[in-house]
Amino acid sequence: MKIVTQAQLNQWLDAIAEEKMLVAPVEVEGKLLYQPVDDSGAIAWGYERTDMSPKTWLFPATEPILTVEEGLETAIRPAQDPEPKVVFGVRPCDARGALAIDALFLDQDPADGRYAQHRAATTLVGLSCPQMWDSCFCTVVGGAPNGSEGLDILLTEVEGGYAVQVVSEKGEALAAGLQGEEQAVKLPEPVLREGLPELRATDEWRAQFDERYWERVADRCLGCRVCTFVCPTCRCFDVRDEVATHRPGVRVIERLRAWDACTVSAYRRIAGGHNPRPTQHMRLRNRFYCKFMYYPEDFGALGCVGCGRCIDACPVGIDILEAVAAVAETAAHPEAVG
Amino acid sequence: MSGQKSERVESGTAAPARPTMEAQIREAARAYLEDVAVSCVIGYERGPRGNVRPAFIYEADDVDRLVWGADCNLNLVTYVHNWKQPLGRGQPVPTVAIVARPCDARAVNLLIHEQQIQRDKVKVIGLTCAGTEINGQPRLACQYCDERVPVVYDVLIEAEGEVTAAVEADAYEDIAEMESWTPAERLAYWASEFDRCIRCYACRQACPGCYCFECVAEQVDPHWTSIALELPEKHFFHVMRAFHLAGRCVGCDACEAVCPMDIPLSKLNRKLAKEVEAMFGYRTGDDPETAPPLTTFDPQEQLRL
Repeated sequence: MKIVTQAQLNQWLDAIAEEKMLVAPVEVEGKLLYQPVDDSGAIAWGYERTDMSPKTWLFPATEPILTVEEGLETAIRPAQDPEPKVVFGVRPCDARGALAIDALFLDQDPADGRYAQHRAATTLVGLSCPQMWDSCFCTVVGGAPNGSEGLDILLTEVEGGYAVQVVSEKGEALAAGLQGEEQAVKLPEPVLREGLPELRATDEWRAQFDERYWERVADRCLGCRVCTFVCPTCRCFDVRDEVATHRPGVRVIERLRAWDACTVSAYRRIAGGHNPRPTQHMRLRNRFYCKFMYYPEDFGALGCVGCGRCIDACPVGIDILEAVAAVAETAAHPEAVG
Repeated sequence: MSGQKSERVESGTAAPARPTMEAQIREAARAYLEDVAVSCVIGYERGPRGNVRPAFIYEADDVDRLVWGADCNLNLVTYVHNWKQPLGRGQPVPTVAIVARPCDARAVNLLIHEQQIQRDKVKVIGLTCAGTEINGQPRLACQYCDERVPVVYDVLIEAEGEVTAAVEADAYEDIAEMESWTPAERLAYWASEFDRCIRCYACRQACPGCYCFECVAEQVDPHWTSIALELPEKHFFHVMRAFHLAGRCVGCDACEAVCPMDIPLSKLNRKLAKEVEAMFGYRTGDDPETAPPLTTFDPQEQLRL
């Protein structure tokens, strides 16, 4: 396996940044975010899990997908091609998050053209986690702290540098520029969290749809969008045609796509003001059920990769792993539920 | 945090030790729940990972879940908005009890004034408060707080030790620096802070004063602002929210406590409070009768400028 030193890795990243956009974890006012960097010196080395996932680089929080110039003649222009980029330091859970989004946006017919463009323009370079941190539960949902699924290249910290695993063809092309030495090396075993609950099958979730438990969990839900925005797999969006600018005789209209969240009441509100999901418990339950029942049944992938961000970010302590555990508990002891 | 001082050995002359605030809260909650007229007691509990979170207690048997500590930094009055409607057709509006700091409690007066709640439907378990923390740091406003006992309560939970005000009168010296900046410098500062905003609306949702059925930020017709999660929209959202809260903000800083991006909203809140106090001699929620100055129009009004 190829081993690179930190200096070699930095050199490689600096060269990438010269050529295209390099996105990496950066510390901004104490928050870890994936942002474009000019060179490897700006990277927040030693980071654990970032506060936001790298999702926005594949599925931007906001982007115009179409522009209409309306004047004497009307022109419709598709969005510009996304800039080629490398996202560095992607954690294995987040890479699986991209695969989960692929299940809907790429693997269905028709595919989401805009997402496909972003996906094609982006190379994901991963960094193994040496351990599962406080709220991590990737192993509950089929992942691993050192998993390579969904990545193009996976780096794992070893003594004296990083071991390089090339995962895809795209990764192979990029790794060609990475100087290092072939060495026999045993990759370290990540430290796993013990005592995590077992994720039950979709049928168990279906059977517990009407449990009072969901109302009690949602008592404290504020109905904000934090959990869905920090989530590497939440992929719901809103589309709106908005006037961007006026020029003499021309009105420029953008068709914007922006993240949306099933946890807010406005999400499901329809013309006339009716809301088919009128209560907060229905909305919060939808988020959990989307992840563990609807999405796997409809698109073949779990909607949760166990990054634990929603657990840490929720301002009122709603804990998705607690919900997973509650479903397992009720399934094991159905008679105990009153 | 409570609980620590109770282990202190009292000298012979001291009065018998008061039960901890936690114990008093549990007792008050038990009394309310045994009285069938109270449907739910809203306080704090510790989640599975040790963090505090809002607790909704329906049965007297569950009151021991309730806790109190310096990290209890939300304003639970915001949840009253979920209890304003009858539980079912032909049923009365439910009564709930709420654990509230002095700043939180003023939101009860605000909501009574704004005809959102009825006084007898909300039982206030008020706390004498020595200040709370955000992210483990003493909250900005608590360092200038002159209010240690709620202006409205049904049960008063008293701290074990004596709680004295941090200041006699708040001079807002902490925001003098911001006020010395030029408009361009202020714009640059807030643009950089708001740039981190992800427009998750947690601040709005945590705020007892933000209860519009349809927020300006989400309204479709008229379409005031773009759906874009970008700086102009974030800036608009926060400035709009600040203006809507001017004279209505109780300064609980729940918005800052819930912000996932640690945007220092307390600075905005304190600037609002200072201006309203200087111009109108008004503090939000001191009583349920006086209208917040920016919600009324009096032709004879003289600003204290």
